[in-house]
Amino acid sequence: MLLVVTYSQGARTTLRNVCRTHESAVVRRLGRAALFAETELGAFLALRLRAKHGDDVQIERTRPFNEFDTVPESVREAAAAYEDRETASTPYAKFAAGTDHPDPETMRDADL
Amino acid sequence: MRVRIDGRIREGRAIDLTETDVSAAAVVRAIDGENGRIRIDCPPPSDPHDHVARLPPMTFDRRAALATAARALGHTSPAESQLEATRTELADLSPPSVDVAAARRRVAETGAAEDRLRERVAELRGRLQARRETGADTTAVEAQLDEAVSQLSAAETERIAAEQALDRAEEAARAARDRRDRRLELEDRVANLEREVRRDLASAVWERFRAALRAVPGDGTVGPSPGAYDGDPVTAALAVARLAPLDAPVVVDGVERLDGAEAAASTLDAPVIYIG
Repeated sequence: MLLVVTYSQGARTTLRNVCRTHESAVVRRLGRAALFAETELGAFLALRLRAKHGDDVQIERTRPFNEFDTVPESVREAAAAYEDRETASTPYAKFAAGTDHPDPETMRDADL
Repeated sequence: MRVRIDGRIREGRAIDLTETDVSAAAVVRAIDGENGRIRIDCPPPSDPHDHVARLPPMTFDRRAALATAARALGHTSPAESQLEATRTELADLSPPSVDVAAARRRVAETGAAEDRLRERVAELRGRLQARRETGADTTAVEAQLDEAVSQLSAAETERIAAEQALDRAEEAARAARDRRDRRLELEDRVANLEREVRRDLASAVWERFRAALRAVPGDGTVGPSPGAYDGDPVTAALAVARLAPLDAPVVVDGVERLDGAEAAASTLDAPVIYIG
């Protein structure tokens, strides 16, 4: 999908109008951003916005996130275990210390 | 005030032009200082004139008109200094422009060149293998392969450089977007403060507006809270004209409920040029 984020009032207004007139090409509207379908029409609409508003329009390509495909099991398990913790106020670094769960620093430096 | 049309002079606080063929637009221009067939000697129009120079007005922004009238009466809003500061901050904030498109194009082009060369190398390798198997001469193909391999290596280097340049450009673009975000935030804040100032100013004259509505012909009434008005825009415009300090004349053209120059001037509590 194409993620379009706007950074000015004018671009925001144009995005709103584009979304209204091309509902079928819009997967989701999120305030001043929108997800367009990955079609030529989606790309056309995104590029039209950029042609009109220049740097006030950011376009990113996104794809569905499959954690079982891309995320190591240790990270998935750490997330589940942390959400299941007994004390709500425990920060993750402290929670992970002395366990098999990865520490935040290691995860920060490891690309998916 | 003194109005001179084709050499004939009329004077007074209420001037009737129903017998002439002049248009309201021409009179408004003459009040603004244009010298032509019509010449008008009067004090310069004040800000509230922007809203009620001509009645009925073509469009009437009640909130803005009330705010302008309130300001002319000396009222201010506590939010004004903050509005001024926010406007200044916004004016000083200009997000840099970052050309990421050229970097993206270069990555795409170098990538495509690399792919083409990779295919060429594979093809030459196949051909070399086939010639070896049949015992044919391989010298020429070997030379072509060497050439293609070295071109591929150069293309790889170029593609990697292009990708690094794109990474840098995208990083700069991200930083620029932070400034754009901030600008958007400030723009929203300016809009909110402008509304707040207008609301404050309108509240300041709300009682006067209520009294003025009772004094002008029409069905407008105000609600319990400042800003709530029920009625047509012409009635609201008449009330604003009545409460605003107006030294320059108001041009009345086609308000049937104001019958005549004198009546209009006394109803609006302002100098009037009456056209009909």
